[in-house]
Amino acid sequence: MKTAIEVTPKVPLSHEALRDTIDLCLWAGQLLVQYGAETQLAEETVHRLGTGLGCDWLDVFVSYNALTITASSGVEFRTKTRRVLTHPVNFGTITAVTALNERVQHGELTREQVRLALRMISDTPRTYNRWIVILFVGLACGAFSRMFEGDWPAFWLTWAAASVATFVRQEFSRRSFNLLLVTIATAFTAGTLAGVGTLMGITTTPQFALAASVLLLVPGVPLINAAEDLIKGNVVTGISRGVWGGLISLAIALGLLIAFTLLGVRGI
Amino acid sequence: MDIALRVFEDALWSGVAAAGFGMLFNVPRRWLWLCMLLGAAGHGTRRLLEFGGVSIEIGTLVGALIVGFAGYYIARRLRAPQTIFTITGAIPLVPGVYAYRAMIALLQVTTAAPEATQALLADASVNAIRTAFILAAIAIGIAFPSLWFDRQRPIV
Repeated sequence: MKTAIEVTPKVPLSHEALRDTIDLCLWAGQLLVQYGAETQLAEETVHRLGTGLGCDWLDVFVSYNALTITASSGVEFRTKTRRVLTHPVNFGTITAVTALNERVQHGELTREQVRLALRMISDTPRTYNRWIVILFVGLACGAFSRMFEGDWPAFWLTWAAASVATFVRQEFSRRSFNLLLVTIATAFTAGTLAGVGTLMGITTTPQFALAASVLLLVPGVPLINAAEDLIKGNVVTGISRGVWGGLISLAIALGLLIAFTLLGVRGI
Repeated sequence: MDIALRVFEDALWSGVAAAGFGMLFNVPRRWLWLCMLLGAAGHGTRRLLEFGGVSIEIGTLVGALIVGFAGYYIARRLRAPQTIFTITGAIPLVPGVYAYRAMIALLQVTTAAPEATQALLADASVNAIRTAFILAAIAIGIAFPSLWFDRQRPIV
């Protein structure tokens, strides 16, 4: 199948058609980079999408907060850049964009249909109800406290503190605060609640409750993606992601430190 | 027997943690149980190796390799991006507590007595280094299958 595509000569796209194609590719790429795809996945998907829609070749430059594509077809070529402003993780969107790309590869879709599909993907709300997320992210942090072999009161305390912290994070994020501020506020909330529980003496393993209740904030996706980008040779993107992950970790510590200082609790 | 039970409990909680974070990351509902399974397998393996006296860094590498290969296979079968399964499955392995300790120590340097500064700096760097190594182990583990199997595929 692959050779069949390569053998069939492509009809050169007009300048206008090329503009349309590159816009669609930028849109798909923006969704991928924004919602937590690592660089190679974004690059390959965008490249295949563009060639699937009739371009001869695409060069894709992915950076942490922008995306540049040069698309060529026949004698025409165009280059465009699009900014990527936020990085909330959403693997549902990444799945949808990848699936759309597969359909394009099979020649099932026209540009107009791709545009409609991308509009639909962008407008799809998140799968999980926010209260369910609060409950289960709290539970996940409680699970971490059990993994550190904390006692059951520490588990319940962590669950409660992390759930309230998740709520605070959602509220702050919704109001578009700077992500570092959101992180400090959330860590402060979790640290205060876990600290108050510790002062009340309900657990014999307070250090695990204190540490586990902020784990919902740990920038796992940026840090893992950073290391993966570095391994695969996308050094600049890797460094950007890593620095951002480090800053978030620092913000977590800052929020905790404020809470602990106010309460007079000792950290680990 | 006691160790088997503790590893089992650890795997169970790791699965719960992976699923919780999967919801935060908006993993499609039909695949959440797979993330749960990978999370349990990865961290359960690390805990088992820790009981066997293996260092946490090597344990993480082995756990992440299991997550990586399983995620690679699942993603192939389901025609889905493997990132979904590998990252969510690796979340329980992320060295959150080491990073936390490093940062807390770093922030305490500013207020500590001069004679305590050295110990704090040492504490911060040891924890930061361990964080970095564990993260590298995770990334190598989950990237390895695609680096190994897909090297012939033309890259952009």
